[in-house]
Amino acid sequence: MHGQELHLDNFKGDFLNIFIFLHPQIPDIQIVPAGWQSLLSFTILFLAWLAGFSSRLFAVIRFESIIHEFDPWFNYRSTHHLTTNGFYEFLNWFDERAWYPLGRIVGGTVYPGLMMTAGLIHYILNLLHVTVHIRDVCVFLAPVFSGLTAISTFLLTRELWNQGAGLLAACFIAIVPGYISRSVAGSFDNEGIAIFALQFTYYLWVKSVKTGSVFWAIGCCLSYFYMVSAWGGYVFIINLIPLHVFVLLLMQRFSRRLYIAYSTFYIVGLVLSMQIPFVGFQPIRTSEHMAAAGVFALLQAYAFLQYLKDRLTRQEFQTLFFLGVSLAAGGVFLTVIYLTYTGEFLFATFNTKPSLPPMLRYAKIHIPIIASVSEHQPTTWVSFFFDLHILVCTFPAGLWFCIKNINDERVFVALYAISAVYFAGVMVRLMLTLTPVVCMLSAIAFSSVFEHYLGDDMKRENPGSVKQHPFYPVKNISVYSKPIVTMLMLMLLMMFAVHCTWVTSNAYSSPSVVLASYNHDGSRNILDDFREAYYWLRQNTDEHARVMSWWDYGYQIAGMANRTTLVDNNTWNNSHIALVGKAMSSNESAAYEIMKSLDVDYVLIIFGGVIGYSGDDINKFLWMVRIAEGEHPKDIRESDYFTPQGEFRVDKAGSPTLLNCLMYKMSYYRFGEMQLDFRTPPGFDRTRNAEIGNKDIRLKHLEEAFTSEHWLVRIYRVKKQENRQALDHKFRNIAAKQKFTSKKVLPSRFH
Amino acid sequence: MKVMMNMLAEKVEQMMEWSSRRSMIRMNGDKFRRFVKAPPRNYSVIVMFTALQPQRQCSVCRQANEEYQVLANSWRYSSAFSNKLFFTVVDYDEGADVFQQLNMNSAPTFMHFPAKGKPKRADTFDLQRIGFASEQLAKWIADRTDVQIRVFRPPNYSGTIALALLVSLVGGLLYLRRNNLEFIYNKTGWAMAALCVVFAMTSGQMWNHIRGPPYAHKNPQNGQVSYIHGSSQAQFVAESHIILLLNAAITMGMVLLNEAATSKGEVGKRRIICLVGLGLVVFFFSFLLSIFRSKYHGYPYSFLIK
Repeated sequence: MHGQELHLDNFKGDFLNIFIFLHPQIPDIQIVPAGWQSLLSFTILFLAWLAGFSSRLFAVIRFESIIHEFDPWFNYRSTHHLTTNGFYEFLNWFDERAWYPLGRIVGGTVYPGLMMTAGLIHYILNLLHVTVHIRDVCVFLAPVFSGLTAISTFLLTRELWNQGAGLLAACFIAIVPGYISRSVAGSFDNEGIAIFALQFTYYLWVKSVKTGSVFWAIGCCLSYFYMVSAWGGYVFIINLIPLHVFVLLLMQRFSRRLYIAYSTFYIVGLVLSMQIPFVGFQPIRTSEHMAAAGVFALLQAYAFLQYLKDRLTRQEFQTLFFLGVSLAAGGVFLTVIYLTYTGEFLFATFNTKPSLPPMLRYAKIHIPIIASVSEHQPTTWVSFFFDLHILVCTFPAGLWFCIKNINDERVFVALYAISAVYFAGVMVRLMLTLTPVVCMLSAIAFSSVFEHYLGDDMKRENPGSVKQHPFYPVKNISVYSKPIVTMLMLMLLMMFAVHCTWVTSNAYSSPSVVLASYNHDGSRNILDDFREAYYWLRQNTDEHARVMSWWDYGYQIAGMANRTTLVDNNTWNNSHIALVGKAMSSNESAAYEIMKSLDVDYVLIIFGGVIGYSGDDINKFLWMVRIAEGEHPKDIRESDYFTPQGEFRVDKAGSPTLLNCLMYKMSYYRFGEMQLDFRTPPGFDRTRNAEIGNKDIRLKHLEEAFTSEHWLVRIYRVKKQENRQALDHKFRNIAAKQKFTSKKVLPSRFH
Repeated sequence: MKVMMNMLAEKVEQMMEWSSRRSMIRMNGDKFRRFVKAPPRNYSVIVMFTALQPQRQCSVCRQANEEYQVLANSWRYSSAFSNKLFFTVVDYDEGADVFQQLNMNSAPTFMHFPAKGKPKRADTFDLQRIGFASEQLAKWIADRTDVQIRVFRPPNYSGTIALALLVSLVGGLLYLRRNNLEFIYNKTGWAMAALCVVFAMTSGQMWNHIRGPPYAHKNPQNGQVSYIHGSSQAQFVAESHIILLLNAAITMGMVLLNEAATSKGEVGKRRIICLVGLGLVVFFFSFLLSIFRSKYHGYPYSFLIK
């Protein structure tokens, strides 16, 4: 039976693995009981979880338990909707408060994994009578999941190398800034849970390749399902695993274990991934998923040929092989032509969110809105170093060791490293997918150094067969160099920990909803203008009022002020955004026409000139102009907003079009009267370091409704149209000279 | 009036004849005054003022010229080709007087001379801001003259040829050594290739590829060359090469440390390998850290080297 062979196959493969994995500890095991080892592992993992959790709490301690930035506000709002209205209501949710007047189908356009996870935790806690608010669950979700990520990284690295490397990898990933950047407390975003799902899926995949059991493969599918429900980055998994299988086939490492693992994974994973409404039929229609299907077919063909090879003579086999190959090639060719012809198979999908570079190139040239997002930029070496510190210089060494001692699962980690480093080089935000593999490989590099230099020499004098193994330190190098190496390596790791804390504290722990400024004596001022203004909107405006703002603030207005917005961070409709951009960059009366047609009641802008906040709307203004120009090239021209010298200036030398557009007027309305300090003239903009050029701003169709304490947020009310002016009343004088007879005839049925 | 009409017809005919011969009409001072500046005209003229002579050392001019050529050819061979629009070029060495007359002191410059009236501000192409890609030029021309030109670039086969050459080279090599394919199983070779990819990416070569920064910066005042960009948002090509070397040295140090412990050589030799490895890691890492510190202002930590 096959079972017998399978078992043998397993045994052969694993025997070697076990040997490689465990031998460094063989001397230790003889002395230290296994119980101590697991206790130690458990303690280290627990501490890693604790360290990871607590280093993500900077923002909570400095400010409060609050949702950060932009996208998390949408996720929070949807989670809130889920917990108050139930799961089915959430799936069918049509949000009429976004993209006025179009609305947005939320249930079918989100990855629901994040909301489901938070909702489930909230439900369980409430079931146990731990009454926490859903906001706190959302805030602390990502830090808690970082601990789970550390554990799954430990498991994966243990499968790849050994237990010691696994523990180091868990410690690395718990505090590395490349991952913290997306998972601080309050950053309630898909990536926070997706990296855990990614690592766990990979662990289960490696496990199923090693064992060849359907149990682990099904586990891998379920984890993959969770990943698909959580993040669009699942495309990375569905391409990396087939690539692994393909390379193993090329290396002639085909085995029944591989066959069972991949066949199960592909079929069950495909069916499961199609259950997510947002993904739908994409896995069988788009080119991103075709590699998986192709490898599946290839694997079946390869296995079939192996089967035939055992049963046929060489001559028969060759004839059959060529016949089969030509038939298959022809069949595939015709199918592709047919499908392309009927439009079923989309060859190139230029959707904007995922991460393939040709699309990025295309989008960068043609759609300004993609280029305007800073996350879509390529990565400099400084970003690599900033996010990974010593790990970026040492992980190639781990890769080197893995390739030099290759086996099935190390092929996987090598492919993972190379593909992830390529994608991270192309786009900054994909640093996130690189970070786990860098942690694992660095851990392998450091752990193999520590293994050789930290061990006790006396114990190694024991005679035994292990001595012949190449890894085994034959004799002590020097009594002095060992402690020196160990000490310096530990020092480097200590610097890494210090760097991680510094970066987390300084760069990644700002909620960006609440700002803080520091005085010379170190005391802190909290600038809470955003929430002040959103709360004003919530309290003082009609429940159905429509607020126009640039798309960056759409989610926050919906989440904090609970008002209808025109555009938001889900930038699915470029022309609608362009319309808002056009309104902002036109003069007031032209803008009024647009605002009337869109039923705008309030306009909200961000102005940083008073406190010197650089992320305000005037600095983003050129993107609004560009996006508007893309859709309305006749009305808006970018060159009109520059001086003849090609500069963008807000002072007297600025172009008149800029000085009279709606955004300029709203930003600087009454600003000309304001003198910030005695060294500068009134109307001095601290962000752009210039005295504004148009101080006498009068608004005709708008009126100032609210300006926050530091002028950071300004809200204007759009005046309703006045009643038509009564015409001068004149008596009609009717010249009744001739008799008037109507030419109308009555309809025939009245006769 | 009749004379004027005749003159106009004559001019149009002459221009058409030139442009049927070459897509870009080269002009000297006299021709420029007669056909572009002088009033009876019913056609628009796009003029590129440039300096293509090798002694002028204007590399931008050459690139701009290529783009302009693409555009002019697209117009020349398009179905909409008419006598309403002509592409001309004035070289500084052939018509220096034109440059003086128009108060022009930089090349290349693109100008549009409309059929009626004088050129306005927007008739000078904003090269600094938009760049000189043919698509941008076509957009500008469509804006100024209402003539839509679909840019047709001659397909670029160099990438395909290079790929085919590489494939055939590899294939040929494999065929020649078909009796001895051991080298495919050489793990060191594969490991080297993988590390090359990794080093190229982590040192930001992709950024260089997309952004095209200068190799290094030379200060025009004192002639000092700086290889490291002062800001953390950007980098020079030379800088990324330095980082590549540093990363590679640190990795090599780690490998050597491992090698020293595992190899079966004599103790003295291994001790040296160990110390070299340690030195590579510690020294080059602190060097890397100091470069990072100089770029990332306000970063407080350093190691050995300030």
